Amino acid sequence: MAKIPEKMRWIYDLLLTAAILAMATVLCTLLRRIDDGSGYVNLIFVLAVATISRWTEGYFWGIFSAVSGVLFVNYVFTYPYWEFNFTITGYPFTFLAMLTVSMMISAMNTQIKKQERLRIETEKEAVRANLLRAMSHDIRTPLTSIVGNTAAILENEDSFSSEQKRRLLEDVNEDAQWLIRMVENLLSITRMSGGQAKIEKDCEAAEEIVGVSVSKFTKRFPAIKVSIEVPDEVLMVPMDATLIRQVIMNLLENAAIHGGNVTQIRVCLSREGTNACFSVSDNGVGIPKERLSTIFNGGLSGVSHNNFDMKKNMGIGLSVCYTIVKAHDGTMTAENLDSGGACFRFYLPLEEGINSEIEG
Amino acid sequence: MKLKDKVLVVEDEQNISNFISTVLTANDFDVLVAQTGAEAVSMITSHCPDLIILDLGLPDMDGINILKEVRSWSSLPIIVVSARTHEHDKVMALDLGADDYIEKPFGTSELLARIRTAIRHTRTPLDNNEIAQSGKFTVKNLTIDYDKHHVLIGDQDVHLTLNEFKIVALLGKYAGKVLTYDYLIKQIWGPKAKADNQILRVNMANIRRKIEKNPASPEYIFTEIGVGYRMLENDA
Repeated sequence: MAKIPEKMRWIYDLLLTAAILAMATVLCTLLRRIDDGSGYVNLIFVLAVATISRWTEGYFWGIFSAVSGVLFVNYVFTYPYWEFNFTITGYPFTFLAMLTVSMMISAMNTQIKKQERLRIETEKEAVRANLLRAMSHDIRTPLTSIVGNTAAILENEDSFSSEQKRRLLEDVNEDAQWLIRMVENLLSITRMSGGQAKIEKDCEAAEEIVGVSVSKFTKRFPAIKVSIEVPDEVLMVPMDATLIRQVIMNLLENAAIHGGNVTQIRVCLSREGTNACFSVSDNGVGIPKERLSTIFNGGLSGVSHNNFDMKKNMGIGLSVCYTIVKAHDGTMTAENLDSGGACFRFYLPLEEGINSEIEG
Repeated sequence: MKLKDKVLVVEDEQNISNFISTVLTANDFDVLVAQTGAEAVSMITSHCPDLIILDLGLPDMDGINILKEVRSWSSLPIIVVSARTHEHDKVMALDLGADDYIEKPFGTSELLARIRTAIRHTRTPLDNNEIAQSGKFTVKNLTIDYDKHHVLIGDQDVHLTLNEFKIVALLGKYAGKVLTYDYLIKQIWGPKAKADNQILRVNMANIRRKIEKNPASPEYIFTEIGVGYRMLENDA
């Protein structure tokens, strides 16, 4: 139920309350055909009030259903039927009982939700801490190589041939490039550390972001051919452009580094209902079957192992992608294509109303 | 002997200023280095450099203040160096008159290209000398005819709407330079226009559908995420 947006919440609660009260009424009406007594009526309505308190937000609907339940039972199901009679013995007691049940359950409910939130918060914190630990650990590897290689050149300036020096410097350059990518991912995480609400979304033309990401990627990996397909319609998507660029970059680099002999990548943008669909597919060897189900959290669950090596692990980049997409209320999927190669897709909600206006 | 262009590098990190000055010296520039804002201000007035490379994060003052001060009396080209986390700084710097920006970390070829473009721009009397001479701007297959108000790809008119033409014309006039979203919106829709990027994005998407082979891998007009657009420059 956590997925219902705030604005819709009270409508949802209202409908639920009405439905449960209606069900209780129908049940009582049916039972009355079998049994003339009325002992079960109160019990059924207490049950209804309890159910409503459990599944709605806050105290309001529980109390509301308790009050209306009592009045309703009085009006319909107690003698004289279809008339109010407040002089029945035990009436105030029934009313109090229902009210108490509703408030207790609402209170419990609120507390459960609070604990749930706390648990998620702690979990998030733990994931972040693991991620940072893993990254710091792995940043050491390229740093060691950079320090070692440059020191070797400085100390052996005269004895090394220029060919040797060049090879060492190429390694240094490659390691530094890797560090840059890692830091970019770290920055993306810190950008989101304020929680989901903090993401600043602007309406962007999705094709521009795709275009910029691909051209940046092509500069780093000129050997790989990237084709882009965009629809005729302009898709406007509310997003933090820097973060979404990071997602597309990560997916492209993931294909280039872990895809296995990838020579071609296809980036495709399309509209699927009220979502924009971004897909990145390659012609590499695909994703190992056993990784497919845990691919987006693979990097994080592997963090505890000591032999965790991020250079060989595609998990971190993908976890960052997944986190970013989720923070945009989007979804992400990974699959292997029949033709071989992997395909990653992510969906972001389109700006409501605007896209249809633009078409005309 | 050829007269060398003088570049002032304002950067507090010595490693970075060392690397920049090494590269620039090797590429035939005279290099001056200032490590603080105060030093920079005094060196600008005493040495009159041809170009300034300005890091916005300085220990003693905000780089933006140096930019403002220099712009109050001179139009000498300034390239701002920014870190990725400060996107608003970048836009602010451009709106305050910086000629270009470069993001850390940057490569040497990128830096040299930006410097050459910025210096060339100040050497041409109008913003784009090509337009001043012929009323036309041409780059690759694209021609903007400022007299007849149309844009050609090859010799085909691509039929832009009035606003679309205004956008392309403006980008062409300052080809090679980033124009911020805000600047473009104010120029096209007037100073009272809302700073709403959406209409600009949609116009740009339509322009690209008319002038580019693939709107998502543009050849002529490039997107600078979070900042603005830049027209391909017709460099020799």
